[in-house]
This record gives sequence, C-alpha cells and structure tokens, in this order.
Amino acid sequence: MNKFLDWLDDRSGIRSIVKEALYEKVPGGARWRYVWGSCLTFAFFTQVVTGTLLWMSYSPSAQTAWESVYFIQYQMWGGWFLRGVHHYMAQAMIVLLVLHLMQVMIDGAYRAPRELNFWFGIALMGVTLALSLTGYLLPWDQKGYWATAVATNLIAEVPLIGPVLQKIVVGGVEYGHQTITRFFALHAGILPATLIGLVVVHIYLFRKHGIHVKEPRPKRDSYFWPDQILKDGVACLAVLLAVVFLTLFFKGAPLGPPADPSNEFPARPEWYFLFLFQLLKYVPAFWGAVIIPIVLGLLILIQPFIGSSTKGHQFNVGFWWCLLAGSAGLTFLAFSEDRENVNHIAAVEEAEWQANRVIQIAQEDGIPPTGAVTLLREDRENRGRRIFASQCSSCHRYNGHDGRGYLVSDEQSAPELAGFASVNWTTKLLNYDHYVSSEYFGGTAFKDGTMAKKVLKKYDDEEKKLLPDVARLLSDLAELPYQEQLSEDEKESLLDIYYDDLACIDCHDIDSEGEGSAPDLTGYGSRKWMIDFINNPEHERFYGKKNDRMPAYGRDKKLSEEEIEIVVDWIRSKPGEF
Amino acid sequence: MSQSNSNDQESLKESSCCETDKGRRLVVASTIGVSAACAIFPFAAGVTSILDPVKKNSGSVAEVPWTKVTPVVNLPDNGKPAKFEIILSKVKDAWTTYKNVPAGAVYLSRKGEEVTAYSLKCPHLGCAVDYRSKTNDYFCPCHNSTFGIDGSVTDKNSPSPRGLDTMDTKIENEYVWIKFQQFRPNIAEKIPLS
Repeated sequence: MNKFLDWLDDRSGIRSIVKEALYEKVPGGARWRYVWGSCLTFAFFTQVVTGTLLWMSYSPSAQTAWESVYFIQYQMWGGWFLRGVHHYMAQAMIVLLVLHLMQVMIDGAYRAPRELNFWFGIALMGVTLALSLTGYLLPWDQKGYWATAVATNLIAEVPLIGPVLQKIVVGGVEYGHQTITRFFALHAGILPATLIGLVVVHIYLFRKHGIHVKEPRPKRDSYFWPDQILKDGVACLAVLLAVVFLTLFFKGAPLGPPADPSNEFPARPEWYFLFLFQLLKYVPAFWGAVIIPIVLGLLILIQPFIGSSTKGHQFNVGFWWCLLAGSAGLTFLAFSEDRENVNHIAAVEEAEWQANRVIQIAQEDGIPPTGAVTLLREDRENRGRRIFASQCSSCHRYNGHDGRGYLVSDEQSAPELAGFASVNWTTKLLNYDHYVSSEYFGGTAFKDGTMAKKVLKKYDDEEKKLLPDVARLLSDLAELPYQEQLSEDEKESLLDIYYDDLACIDCHDIDSEGEGSAPDLTGYGSRKWMIDFINNPEHERFYGKKNDRMPAYGRDKKLSEEEIEIVVDWIRSKPGEF
Repeated sequence: MSQSNSNDQESLKESSCCETDKGRRLVVASTIGVSAACAIFPFAAGVTSILDPVKKNSGSVAEVPWTKVTPVVNLPDNGKPAKFEIILSKVKDAWTTYKNVPAGAVYLSRKGEEVTAYSLKCPHLGCAVDYRSKTNDYFCPCHNSTFGIDGSVTDKNSPSPRGLDTMDTKIENEYVWIKFQQFRPNIAEKIPLS
C-alpha cells in the first residue's frame, strides 16, 4: 500500500495536496461557529448527488414533467425519499446560508482583507436562491406553475430589456415545454456550474486569508484535521438528520395537481420567498423586484468598507438583523393572512383534493400520453363537483358548501343536495321543521305551499311516526349505489302506508296513470328521474307552472346532456354528511 | 501550480527568439485573439437558439380568431359575472399542437345584448382573480388587488396598475363568442402578449 502511495505521490504530489488541505491552522482552536461553510458544502454536495439521481428519472416537457415526478414519488422504489431529501435539503440550505452569513457578519469576517470573498459569498447566495426558484417549477404542478408565473412576470420589471429577458427565460410568451426545458437547463446545468466555480474561488480565498478568529481565543491553536473536521462532521450529521426527519415526517416532498392554465390556483412561493410575496402587496412590483433589491444589494456590496470602523461594523450587523427581522415579520404576515382567509384555505384543500384524485386515477388507470392534466379534465367526479359549483351552488348547497369545499356568499335558497334522496335526506325532508328551513325549501316559494302548510304541518303524532317509513320507500325508488334495496315484502308494506295510511298518492303519483297535482314520484331520485328533472323541472310530471326559479338546464341548453348526467351521477355517488 | 505555469511561460518567452517588439506583440495579440475565439465559439453557436423565442413571437400580431364560449342563456342579463373556460381549437406549444384544449378562463357579464369579458388573469402579476358576490367585485388572492364590477381599479392601494383586461365579444346564433387574448402584466397600458 505504502509503495503504491509513494508511486502515486511521485507522479501527482498527492501527499502535499492532502497535507495542505487538512493541516490548515485554526487559530484559537476548533469552534462550532466555524461549521456553517462546511455544512453548506455538504448540503450542496447532497443536492448535486440527489439531483443527478432524480435527473435519471425526470423528463422535462409539459406532458412528462409532472408524470415523471409522479413516477418518482409513487412508483419508484424509494423515489419519494430521494425527492424528499432533495426538497428539504434545498430548504435547509437557505437556513444554513442565513446562519453562515450572520456568523460572518457578527464576527466581522467580511472586512478587509476578505472583501472579495464576502462578495463571492453574496453571489453564491444569489445563485442558491435562483436554484430554489428554478427547481420549484420542475414538477410542473399547479403550485410551481402559478408561483413561477408570478416570478417570471417580475422579470419583465427589469428596465428596457425586461420583456425580452422574460421571453428568453420563459421560452416564449406562454408557459409550456420550453419553459420547463429552459428552467431545467438553468437548474441542473448553468446554475450548479456557476455555483461550483464560485465556491472554488470562495474556498480558495478563505484559505488564502485563513479563518477570521473571533476574539477572545478560547483555546490553543489547532489544525483543521481532525479537530475542526470533527465539529464540521457532527454539524453536517445534524443537518442530515433534520432533513431525513422532515422527509419522513412529511412523507417526502409534496406534489400538487398537474399544471393547468384554465384551473386557477392561489400562487404562493416557498416559505423563504414569502417576504417578497408579501412585500408586493404593499409596494409596486418595480420597487419590490428592482429598486429595493438594487439598493439593498449595493449597500451590501459596500458593507466591507462601511465596516472598517467599529461604528460601521455595528451598523452592518444591525442592518442584517433588521433585514432578517423585517423578512420574518413579512413572512409571518403572509402566513397569518392566509390562515385567516377561508377562501384561501378552501382553495388549498381543493388543490389537495385534485392532487389526491389525479394520483388515485393514475394509480388505477395509468396516465395516457396526453398527460395527467387530461385525467382530471375528463374525470367525471371532478367535472361533477365543478359543474355543481358553477351551475347549482348559487342556490343549492352540497354539505353546506359549493361542492368543492368553498363557502358560498349568496344566501342558500334551495335544498341541500348532498345525499339527495337517501333515507336520511328524505326523512329530514318530510319533517316540517326541516322542510321549511333554509336547508330544504325555506328559501323557496314551497315554504308556504300545500305540502308544507296543509300536509306536513297538519300531521298528528301517529302520522308523523309513519313518515320515516315513507322516506324509506321513496329512497328505495332512487336506487342509490350506496344504499341497500328493500325486499319486495318490505316495499309492499311501505306502499300500503303511502297509498292508504297517509294517502300521499292523492297528489304524488307512483307508477300510476293519473295526473297528481304535485310532482310525480315514480322512480324518485333515480338517475333517470334526476336527469329528466334537471332537464326541465317545468315539465308537467314535476313542478309544472309551480316551478320556483329552477332553470330548465337541458331544455334551455344551459348544460349538455353529458354534463347533466355527470352532475347527477356525482350527486348520487355519495351519502351526505349528516 | 499557477506559479510554475508562469515560470514556464517566462522560459518560453526567452527561448522563442523574437526579432522585434512589434512582432512579439503581434504574436501575443494573435494568441489572445485565437484563444478568445475558441473560448467564445461554443457560446456564440448557441446564441440564436437562446434568442429563438424572442424572434418567433415578435412582429405583427396575427388576427385573433373568434372562439365559441357558451350559450347566451347561461348568462343572467343582470350583469352578474360567471366564469367560463376558453377552449381553443388549436394551441401550439413548441413541438406539440393541442386541439380543443382549455387555454384559460374569463368572466363574462351580460347586460341585455351586450357581453363584457374580463380576463381571469390579474393585470398585476398574473394570478387568477375571483369574483366576490358578497361585495360584487373582483379580488386577486395573491397580492390583494381589487377591481370594481366594471373591472376598474377602485382602491388606491390596489397594486394592479390597470383595470381587468377586457376582450372583444359578440353574440351569434345564441352563443357568446370571444377573441381570447392575454396581455402584458403590470404596466398601465393594455398591450396584447405577442
């Protein structure tokens, strides 16, 4: 072995290189405050390795980006872990950057003769933030798509060349294939290469000037190896454990629904950009994206000179504390505003629903070459709730919301439809108090109609006891997929109540020829009954002239036949949350 | 390493005998020129492809086609806005051409025979605005831009530099048609993206 090393050293001078690298003097002994640079190097190393491994399965295009990330996340052995480590290490890097920077500021290590190295450090911070920003878009999910739309619109704020620059970065006017390919080239090629170049100079300059010692020196001088390296290693291990913990705790990185320009999403950047996001609520984008960063940037660049006096140094340190506190304050404001915003919460839940749904379909049926976005667009369940939200929910409700979970600001003026025609729903309907409540017909003309005033209100206690049986009978007609059908005998006995005891048949037909004065209940709540009803509630079988505001969706072509079927199937698919 | 290199260069200079200073300068200049050309060449080769999106989309704006949106009956004639997806018959994205895909959405508001279309994209930074029926206005959930029911900026503190973007519409054969466009964000003027 020694012989081989001798040979190698003779040809390469490896021994002196290693010696120079390891036996760097650490004046005042190894200290924990020097670990951040090594942690950042470790973090970047992790990103290069995990990123390259992710690259092996990632495919940058509008039809394959989300799909390949889905594959990594849900199909590949351990893919979720790999992606999780990459995701959370990126966030750890931001935290480490701040720690490293603050250590350098507080210790005064940015001052002469280390000005140049300080500037390289600031440049490295910029490149790291750019890596985060470009990485965010690559999964091509709604979150990345809409947040990047905002970020790239900010590029247009650059004076003179802004719009052209934006086109170059986006790869055109609209977001698409070229946006992903360009962002990927930036994220996996240009930016890491730049970062490596800068880091080499950064470390070279660091070595040239040596460690800047914070006085007083606690111990005797020691060497980088092994004293400081042990501390660095322990710190890196702590970073690693934190990242692994986050990955396991959150079960990997999140993946939203696939990007869809016609499906809005409340764009929020990653948490470390939230301060900028919040700032844009208060100042014009030109200030937020150009003037403020330039002024702050210039100030930061001359800080080594400002810091040459004690007062100047104190100013610099105070400046960074203020900048951090300001960013933390804005971040807190952004979080608390969103937490109090019910619409935002509903939008986030809706996106989660879509993500879960598309992943479920992808796992059951697979993803077609047209991409996962078409899975959601064609999914009958997704379409059902969306049709309900856009067409029905201004009067009706679904479990109290608009079908997707959003609260509706209009007053509810027609019945709740979750679990429509189920035993529970129908039992409540036949209870006078519920019938005239806003949950059912309280917001309609039927509140004062014959059924309410002359029938339900007039029943005595004995008759009221029979109503749940009528509800069971009616609900049976609906043939709901989640309810068991009654046996023939049961049905017979319930029909007796319907015909004789309560004489419902006097007004509501069931399987009879006559024309009752109230809606025909033959096949009530069944798929066909509902389709016919929504098609034209003014038909004689239903409300006829007594119809109160319910539009004839099919007759007036407000919805296509297919759309009516979809919304009916959706309403009938699940029981309500009673 | 760098030191030994410069030593080598020194010795090279000495060994390669030069007749005149002028001649040496020429050699140095040529060396720098040739090396620079070699170094720049790979970058220069890629300039056009990087700038391709700028070239492709500049020039005159092509005539925007009419796109069918929805039957008129789906719009209440009291001006209350409703949101509609815009399905374009043809959308090109680099090497893919999509047929009949949703390319965006608009709010349509009808008063009698007149339909106004408001872009869903906030003119501030491009998030999707919401119609709020409670306050009868539009609100952007990103940076809190607010717009009146007529799309105008009503609040001084609203960050958007202009009102919601409108697009040409017409009613034909009981359907609403639109010339669907996107506009440059965050400037006071309304300029179509091209």
